[in-house]
Amino acid sequence: MLKRLILDASYALDTSKSYQARKKFFKNLLENNKYKYKKYVDIFMMTLIFASVAVLIREVKHPIHDYLFYFNSYVISIIFFIEYILRFWIHSSMSKIIINQAEHDSLLSRDFNLSKALKKILKLKASYIFSITAIIDLLAVMPFFHELRLLRLFILFRVFKLFRYANSFQTLASVLATKKFEFFTLGIFASIVIFVSSVLIYVMEANNPNSPIDTLFEAVYWSIVTISTVGYGDIVPTSYEGRIVALIVITAGIAVLAFTTSLVVSAFTEKLDEIKEVKTVEDIIKLKHFYLVCGYESVAKDVVRKLVKRGNAIIILDEDPLRVEEATKDGFKALNYDPGKLESYKKLHINMQTQIRAVLCLRESDVANVYTALTIRSLNKNLQILSLLMEESNRKKLQFAGINTLIYPQELIGLITKELVGQPVAFEIIHELRSEESNVHIRELAVTQRIIDSFSTVGELGNKKFRVILLGVYKKDTGRFYFNPLDNTFIENGDFLLVIGNRVFIKEFETYIHTKVKDA
Amino acid sequence: MLKNSALIFGFNNYATEIVKNVQNEYNSVSIYSLDEKDIENKEYNIKHFDLSDDWDEIEESVSIVDSIAFCTLEDIAENIFLVISLRATYKDLTIIAIASHKESANKLLMAGANKVIPLVETTADIITNMLESPVSNGILHDMLYNKSELKIAQIKIGSESHIKDEELSSIDWSHYHGIIVLSVMHKDMSSEFIYSSKARRHIINEDDVLVVVGYETDIKEFEKKIGSNRYVNWSHWSW
Repeated sequence: MLKRLILDASYALDTSKSYQARKKFFKNLLENNKYKYKKYVDIFMMTLIFASVAVLIREVKHPIHDYLFYFNSYVISIIFFIEYILRFWIHSSMSKIIINQAEHDSLLSRDFNLSKALKKILKLKASYIFSITAIIDLLAVMPFFHELRLLRLFILFRVFKLFRYANSFQTLASVLATKKFEFFTLGIFASIVIFVSSVLIYVMEANNPNSPIDTLFEAVYWSIVTISTVGYGDIVPTSYEGRIVALIVITAGIAVLAFTTSLVVSAFTEKLDEIKEVKTVEDIIKLKHFYLVCGYESVAKDVVRKLVKRGNAIIILDEDPLRVEEATKDGFKALNYDPGKLESYKKLHINMQTQIRAVLCLRESDVANVYTALTIRSLNKNLQILSLLMEESNRKKLQFAGINTLIYPQELIGLITKELVGQPVAFEIIHELRSEESNVHIRELAVTQRIIDSFSTVGELGNKKFRVILLGVYKKDTGRFYFNPLDNTFIENGDFLLVIGNRVFIKEFETYIHTKVKDA
Repeated sequence: MLKNSALIFGFNNYATEIVKNVQNEYNSVSIYSLDEKDIENKEYNIKHFDLSDDWDEIEESVSIVDSIAFCTLEDIAENIFLVISLRATYKDLTIIAIASHKESANKLLMAGANKVIPLVETTADIITNMLESPVSNGILHDMLYNKSELKIAQIKIGSESHIKDEELSSIDWSHYHGIIVLSVMHKDMSSEFIYSSKARRHIINEDDVLVVVGYETDIKEFEKKIGSNRYVNWSHWSW
């Protein structure tokens, strides 16, 4: 009966959308660094910690107001306790463990073994309770019992909670953790040196009436102060033998310090690329829109430079570390991920549909571009993919891979030379209008409802006043271009105005049509 | 047609694309390769040449002076050497060269090429414009590659033109229906956008050149109205 009840409750919880949504929400809020609201929770908790420590420092020499005392002892403690409970809840799913056990037993035609499931739950929850972070969390709640004076010092444990909220602390801890074995060896070495030198100095100096070293504790204190190269000088050996011991400890101290420094530096050097990569991925997640450039070779370099100059965000993926290094040196966001592998996109944690404006396959190899295009198509059917085509014979293969636009440089050269010899004037002018360096420029201005509210016809725009030529109006619905339209031509929401003029004047004209409000 | 024949130096994908696109524009199109093995190619009639200054063999079959040269050698150093060699011998020859980057494009210009197409920059420009300005890019593309009826033309002001000696800003261009005047090119070959301060105060002189956009029939009508003719001069090219 009890088993049945527990199992039913577990299924109810597991299938309840609202319960799962709430659990997911708190999991994101407390543990998912990529969740956009988590940083606000972190900042709030850090503020509480600093406020708590500030109150503790203040009350050492000054009386504090009651409300501050209660805020520190009760409000903050209760908030921390709620956080502790929430973390305990989201750490693992009890209902899932029970259901898994029930299904496992049913598959093997056995009775549901509730005690086994409970054991698993206890084991999992205990692993949370006895984790260092959870112990710190619990100790930080202790000042709630402020009547016990000692427990109030537990406020200091709240400082350790900072490790949870500041990413850089976590990074530091993870970097140092990579050298666990080396630090352990160093610790053993330092302990042996401290132990031996403490005993030696005690033996040499304890019976000397002129020596300040009288107890074993003083000997250990002297050893640690000396080996750490701090050397306060409050306790010094006075006998000849004691000074020989000091020489050995000083030499060993230099070795310990040098070893520690080199360990920390090497740990950071080895993890530096990883730290940078994590930071880049975090930055990418925050981007609203960007172009994904696959490959960083000659054409890609120029395309990226031009797109960035126009204010676009760009992410470069390349499997070659040297090219990635070059892109990073050029000041672009680049990751040493293979654009042809699904894993690369999983690691990015991005929403391909909404964040990526277009994918540019700009490797100078048709094989690599087909591979990348197929990978992207397998993830998203609608993304706009543009690719370089290096060999005409591969055109069909690239089209088959789902690439929307192909750029075949050789074909472009053929077309350009044709225009050079056939229509040199048109070629020159059009090249000039498209060029980034030219002052006179062509721009397409999208017609919005706000513009329509102020201007209904072409004549009302007054572009000539701004020394801007209106080349024509492009109707997006019909795909038709109306060259040099008459003044009474209506403009509609969604149209594009193609204007030619000096960049500054176009900007002024654009600002004018966007800000003008029609007289009542 | 300005030149009778086209000489293409180098046999590669660029050369074949150029042949495909310009063969209807010239009486003859000849391909010259540094590699003797290319002569055996059955699809194209390829002749061998070397980088010495001896052009007599080519001169026997075509008049180099009346030709336009396309230098497409893939080795940029060889391409520069070829351009220098051609320019040293033929002062008035029109030379169009292909370069991988802008850096080598500058060297080719210094070597004497009239026009250089930098591959990487051109491809990157096209990709960027496609992505960032799809509408204007499409319209300019159609205009350039004859997919649209719209044309850009240069109209030279003749001695009989009735707009001669008028101030540019005083002319009401709306009288010339279907035409947009973009810029004016002075005698000294410097060109000014029609709305620039300098151009507005400019008095139209004989031999000035107006750059206009319009449909073919409207441009012809405009030519008739202002009493001037279309004009092309290869020496005005600059990258």
